[in-house]
Amino acid sequence: MRGAGRRWRILAAITLVALAGALAAATFAHRQGGASASPAALPGAAALPPPASSGLTIPEPRPLPDPAHTAVWAPVRRAVTATEHPRAASAEVARVEERTPEGTTNLVLVTGRATDAEGLAWVRARLPAPPGGATGWIPRDAVGGYMSVDTRLAVDRAAQTLTLTRGGRIVMTAPVGVGTAAAPTPAGEFYVRNRLTRYRSPAYGPIAFGTSARSPTLTDWPAGGFIGIHGTDQPRILPGRVSHGCIRLRNGDILRLAGLMPVGTPLTIV
Amino acid sequence: MRPGEVDLDAIDPSGAIAEAAHRVSRRAFLAGAAGAAAAATGLPAAALGQESHTTDVEILNFALTLEYLQAAFYTEAERLKALGTVPARAAKRIGAVERAHVTALQRALGPAATRGPLFDFQGATEDDEAFLRTAVAFEDLGTAAYKQQLTRISTPAYISAAASIHTVEARHAAWIRFIAGARPAVDALDDPISDGEAQRLVAGTGFTRPRPRTTARTPPPFTG
Repeated sequence: MRGAGRRWRILAAITLVALAGALAAATFAHRQGGASASPAALPGAAALPPPASSGLTIPEPRPLPDPAHTAVWAPVRRAVTATEHPRAASAEVARVEERTPEGTTNLVLVTGRATDAEGLAWVRARLPAPPGGATGWIPRDAVGGYMSVDTRLAVDRAAQTLTLTRGGRIVMTAPVGVGTAAAPTPAGEFYVRNRLTRYRSPAYGPIAFGTSARSPTLTDWPAGGFIGIHGTDQPRILPGRVSHGCIRLRNGDILRLAGLMPVGTPLTIV
Repeated sequence: MRPGEVDLDAIDPSGAIAEAAHRVSRRAFLAGAAGAAAAATGLPAAALGQESHTTDVEILNFALTLEYLQAAFYTEAERLKALGTVPARAAKRIGAVERAHVTALQRALGPAATRGPLFDFQGATEDDEAFLRTAVAFEDLGTAAYKQQLTRISTPAYISAAASIHTVEARHAAWIRFIAGARPAVDALDDPISDGEAQRLVAGTGFTRPRPRTTARTPPPFTG
């Protein structure tokens, strides 16, 4: 029985190959006979316009860039107290306000997520808290939609330089002024919170960025003593330890930075 | 979720995207109470509007808004890495395609392209069930919306383009439905979505938000 079945399968295969060969031969003969490759128009058929080309050029789908260079931030929807652990009954870390002292929407850098025993979602956030920055947990519904950036800013206080990277590649470097010994620029992990423009204050140059970093010494400074990144009306003293903690750039450099760095960019100061 | 059905009540009403599909002209829309919200979110106000006021640009911008929504949804899901293996794989692959759709529409529209809104998916990208429920709603809506708009586009080249995207959206819809345990093909005919139904669906997302105000014209109060 098994031998008979195998013989039928072989016979069927041979038949198929023969049919395919016959078909190919017929097609070849037809073409060799000088017949046109395109079928003849149907009798009486009206001439049709050419098919419309697509109005869109759809590129090849691409994966997301390396997540190692992506940071996520979220706007604060309501004032909340960050806690040490992702649960309500946990030690308080810092108060997170809805607005910054400049009146813009406050932001937090999101560095993790968790769900508590009651099923409530939490996010771990980098907070605007002294001295070297702080992290804490806040309820997911206290922040809004996630935004992402692939830029990172690094300030080296010893070298007095600023470096901006995008996707891990350096896109800008510049000399900077940093804080004096009496009012040092704090070291730590921070982030850019807002952008200030169209103000009249030559000492801050044309554009200023607010950060989550705060002065460790000027604790009674109005509006919280936050560190900014801004221009200057004294470019000749840069680079140097010349500021009250802020990171100062020459005005041409701050304008260049403004064209490259979005709000939410993580900031590392060493 | 019963096979073949989608729980649309799981998302809160907002209406921001619905403004883009409302059956009014852009001028009339901006004059209405809802205009303030649309202006804040920067969303177009056409696509399912009155025939005499709807242009190909407005229709493509409506399509672009839907693509922004889908691209942002899948991209966030992939970035947060909170989903299980199967939904995460779908988010990665579909997200790449939706981002390509965004790029194509932006290039075609050029300066007339609407700006992408800010989305707050309220955890729908961080939980398998919420993700699948939302993805099914998005893909069904996209499929039906493209089918509806195909009949309104006047430029043949854009009809062809919209049709090519439409079939891809339908494939996405079938795949996501399969993953979610719903029937990929519910009916024998895939009807276009009515204006009223489109409004209800998009208004139900609640996912669009005004962009946060991160700039100000105030003198810096920093330490200096």
